[in-house]
Amino acid sequence: MFRAAGAHAPARALERDIDKGVRRMRHTRGVRRLTALVAIAGLALTACGGSDDGAEEATEDTAAPAEETTSEECAAVGDKGEINLFLIPSPSSTSIQSFIPAFEEETCIKVNFSETPYGEAHQKQLLAYQQGDGQYDVAQYDNTFLAPFGAANAMLALDDYLANSAEYDIADFAQGQQDYGKYDGKTLGLTLSTEPMIQWYRTDIYDELGLTPATTWDEYLANAKAIKAAGKGDGTIMGFGPNVSWWWMTLVWSFGGTLYDGNLKPTANSAEAVAATEYLKSLLDVAPEGAISATGDDVTFKFLSQPIGSMVQYSGYYGFLKDPNANKYPGVIATAPMPKGKADITHLAGWNIGIPADSKNPDQAWQFLEFVLGKSNAKAYLESGAAAIGRKSITSDASLAASDPYLALLTIPSSSRIERYPQLKVWPEMDVAITQSVTAILSGQKTVKAGLDELQAALEPVLAAEKG
Amino acid sequence: MDSHRQRWTVASLTVPTWLMLLAMFAVPLGSGVYLSTRSDKIGSFVPGVGVGLDNYRRDVMSGVFVEAIVTTLIITFVGLLIQFPIGFGLAAILHRNLRGTQLFRTALLVPMLLTPVAVGLMWRFMLDTDLGVINWLLDSVGLSRIGWLGEPWAARMSIVLVDSWQSTPFVMLMALAGLAGLPESPLEAARVDGASPVRAFVHVILPMLRPVVYVTLLIRLIDGLKLFDVIFILTRGAPGRATQTVGLLTYNTGFNFLETGRAAALGIAVTLLTLPVYVLWLRAQRAAQVVG
Repeated sequence: MFRAAGAHAPARALERDIDKGVRRMRHTRGVRRLTALVAIAGLALTACGGSDDGAEEATEDTAAPAEETTSEECAAVGDKGEINLFLIPSPSSTSIQSFIPAFEEETCIKVNFSETPYGEAHQKQLLAYQQGDGQYDVAQYDNTFLAPFGAANAMLALDDYLANSAEYDIADFAQGQQDYGKYDGKTLGLTLSTEPMIQWYRTDIYDELGLTPATTWDEYLANAKAIKAAGKGDGTIMGFGPNVSWWWMTLVWSFGGTLYDGNLKPTANSAEAVAATEYLKSLLDVAPEGAISATGDDVTFKFLSQPIGSMVQYSGYYGFLKDPNANKYPGVIATAPMPKGKADITHLAGWNIGIPADSKNPDQAWQFLEFVLGKSNAKAYLESGAAAIGRKSITSDASLAASDPYLALLTIPSSSRIERYPQLKVWPEMDVAITQSVTAILSGQKTVKAGLDELQAALEPVLAAEKG
Repeated sequence: MDSHRQRWTVASLTVPTWLMLLAMFAVPLGSGVYLSTRSDKIGSFVPGVGVGLDNYRRDVMSGVFVEAIVTTLIITFVGLLIQFPIGFGLAAILHRNLRGTQLFRTALLVPMLLTPVAVGLMWRFMLDTDLGVINWLLDSVGLSRIGWLGEPWAARMSIVLVDSWQSTPFVMLMALAGLAGLPESPLEAARVDGASPVRAFVHVILPMLRPVVYVTLLIRLIDGLKLFDVIFILTRGAPGRATQTVGLLTYNTGFNFLETGRAAALGIAVTLLTLPVYVLWLRAQRAAQVVG
């Protein structure tokens, strides 16, 4: 899930992808009428980005008549309502916006939207829901906020809509992914992006040294050491800086540990957590020096611009690979499943999107979600530059797999336990506590044992507050 | 009777000012104190309840807060040690109106005009261990690279460096204004008495500049204590809590954890802790009277 800080680079890639998508869609039955309207979005993006690509100019003429038809038809059928979208700047948000004209044309429902930066988006949503005056009908949110929203009954349960929607077809998702937007057994959000942690590696370096993608963490470290020893660059990179919790949690789960037990008692200094932390620390020796302070975005940028053999990162960053301004090594980066530890887990992240409980027009809101995220437009949605959604029909599509081979990794095998950010209201405070303790360990201020004991002590009152 | 009415008339003229002060200062402060004794959270659907001094016990009396205060003071005072000598030194040079003074004065003011977030981002790139220009320079002269943002002391000093880069022009500007307002006669007298430039600076100029020094110190201390944006961009408090200042701690508590009651307690504590800075203001006023 891209944060606002990294959104500018995908936006550039998005402009090109929209063009490509527009050309393909002209030959796709059922979505042909989207052509002109998606082109409007492409044109708008081009105007903002200052691109001088002539392809966008050619589509301008096709867009205008479509708008006229829309207004004429809708004037004839009368007012069908209006919905307000709350979006967070990201490729997913940009793609959603590109579908608005086509949706308005088809349904005569007027769609307004506003974008709020990630840093303040969820606070703003919480305040809006607290007021309960139905400000928003559709809201994008990070999966980490599913719990606070769920606990506050702020989001509408979508299960009835899902049960009756052949167009959305929830069965097109693997069971684990069907549960991605569930809180307390109710589906409060649809999946807006499927972003598991996956392994990325440099095929040129691996081929030269006769390495294969690691299947275990031991192999992963051995590969990294081999690359470093051969002088081919740094062995690997993970984010050891302000977003270290992404990787630390992944390793703790993979090493068989947990963050807390069933009674919300922290287990941050368990034997598994100690082993995971020691492993994370050992990777520092084969990582670039700057990895110690690298953020989540930095990890990707460094991997794409420095000689580094491998990284473990969310699949949502795949868009950067296609951006020649960001990727110095086009054609020599491949992806593979994340290595396994004692436990076979998949760390799954990604956006959700749902209907606030106080929405004034929930049915129209559902119509919009069904239109944008339903099966018919799934391919067009991906091609418009959004982070991929792990529908089976998308991840198994041969034509898409040819251009985006990583899509296969979004089908999470049933043998792999899905782990996601703790569904707790106190997660932001846990996140800071983890980051502070683990970065103190990695920077040598604390031993692994002392640092994790401190983390355990710090998490106790935090998790107690969740219970209270 | 007339004088009584006159007093009331005069007093009533100050009412708008008092109302303004009440709205801008007393009400927010009072609300802050009230909020600090409650369990309120942003967006919580459960109304907050009074918790007495629990927020103070949990957050203000904690080791994390003390650590943040120490970090804030280190960053502030080390920054002042850099900014004052350089700022006053540059002012002394520019005050001599040598050739190119105008150009240098304009160039030296540029960092002050930039937004802290832009400054933070720019320096974050420059301080990058692998790709940053600073380590490249160190490399090129045969020195070893430094993990500017990844090692505790290096990270603290990086923040001091960036803050000083942006704030020294302000110190310089204040000193320059002070120097421009100094009377010439005491300096002339010192020169006639055979005082060297250094002695004249220490014993004549500096005492006369005391009000400016106090005011500049006051402003820089307040800026230092509330320093946030540069740290947020450069390190976000890492590694560990090495660069977590009270500003960042309060921000995290209020806007990241959404704990408004606890954040208010931290804010009130910081307000109380910074009250002694007011002494500087009194001193500045007294010094201004003496110099005047």
